[in-house]
Amino acid sequence: MLPSVITAPDLRLLVALLVVALLTGCGPTRVKVEGSFPAPLMEPVPLKLGIWYPEEFATHEFFDEAKSRSESSWVVNTGEAQVSMWDTLLKGMFTELVPMKGEPSPQQMNPVVDAVLIPFVDELQYAIPQHTNVKVYEIWMRYRFQLVTTSGKPIAEWTMPSYGKTPTAFLRSDQAAVNLAAVMALRDAGANFATSFTRVPDVAAWMEGRRRAPAKRATRAPTAETVMEAATP
Amino acid sequence: MISLHKSKVKAPWPYRLIAALGVFTAALLTSGCVTSTVDEMVFNEPTEGIGDSTVVILGRRHASDYETEPDFIECVGDHISSRDKSITVINEIDFVNALYPWFEPRTAPLHPADIERLLEQDPVAQRMLELKTEYMIWVDGVTVRSDSAGSMTCGIGPGGAGCFGFGTWSNDSDYEAVIWDFTDRAEVGRVNTTATGQSYMPAVIVPIPIIAPVQGTACDGIGDQLLQFLSSEY
Repeated sequence: MLPSVITAPDLRLLVALLVVALLTGCGPTRVKVEGSFPAPLMEPVPLKLGIWYPEEFATHEFFDEAKSRSESSWVVNTGEAQVSMWDTLLKGMFTELVPMKGEPSPQQMNPVVDAVLIPFVDELQYAIPQHTNVKVYEIWMRYRFQLVTTSGKPIAEWTMPSYGKTPTAFLRSDQAAVNLAAVMALRDAGANFATSFTRVPDVAAWMEGRRRAPAKRATRAPTAETVMEAATP
Repeated sequence: MISLHKSKVKAPWPYRLIAALGVFTAALLTSGCVTSTVDEMVFNEPTEGIGDSTVVILGRRHASDYETEPDFIECVGDHISSRDKSITVINEIDFVNALYPWFEPRTAPLHPADIERLLEQDPVAQRMLELKTEYMIWVDGVTVRSDSAGSMTCGIGPGGAGCFGFGTWSNDSDYEAVIWDFTDRAEVGRVNTTATGQSYMPAVIVPIPIIAPVQGTACDGIGDQLLQFLSSEY
């Protein structure tokens, strides 16, 4: 049987629901970037690479406050998608990928690797058609990478841009379009990294040094003939 | 026990004729007019068809202010594969994922000669061999809305809701497909299509959209020409 009068608790619940509904309408537009990322198709770089994701990278979130009443604030959470993309890319790009237990430093116990890569998102910008009057959604990111030894000694540090865009489409929400643009930007970051890593001057010099070092050791190491010659009076 | 039987009663033929005419007239009325032009220039057509090789259709996405729509690429692919079942068109996303990161906007080959550079990498050459891709078709272009005019007012009240007014706009499509022969690493054709159409939306209580299928016409135009090139049956 339906109650004929609205009781005080019912009224309080109704008001609370109304307030929640109103506050929800006022909140920022949230996008948690989600996507699947393919493994790279390439000859693996002969390195046992360690990876360390700093906390701010693994939980990276971009917040843009609304500049006017007609606009909405945006929160774009890319952290989880970043880790997923970089894990997939680096696993396919290097002979071995080892996750580090902590930030590389002389005091930190970590598995032995050739080098450790530490990525950072230095900057993220986005544009939606309401901002630009162009019918594309865009995401632009600037990464910074540190390549260090297991003890934290710097080998190389460089920056890299990435860009993703997606056109407007019928019945596609702003959130879905920003998500797609972010996925494109992440894919572009992977493509840029995969094709430029060995060309970063400091990385190239370090890899060349590694390549030469075993050769030098081999030439310096005494062979059976040289030992015999030295022993001959 | 009572069993119920539904019997299908056919309307007399004059009523059916009137109904069919009504549907035809409604279809005519609810689609605007489209003007389309197709230019084609091809060499070395595979007169025997492409056999068990495959074709991939990819959208160019280098421009900063527009993107070739993924659904247009899908439409052209469907147009070809549905008319000649012997032609296998690889899905754009599947192809790009299978060869990641070599067909991203940043890394995609811009000239047929760039394929040589790509195939120097063994894993890429191996994957291309598995995919049996003979022709790579790059489509570049976009459909834009222009020349919007008119106004419409909609209202809602206790007695009901309704709109009143008139709106009109035109859509323009411009696409170019460039065909690369993967085996010879050469460009073997270009197909260009342009389409323009005017759409209308009169509203007296209920808005009636009369949409010009501009992008669909451009898709059919480019699809037909590509089909003629690839298929031995057309």
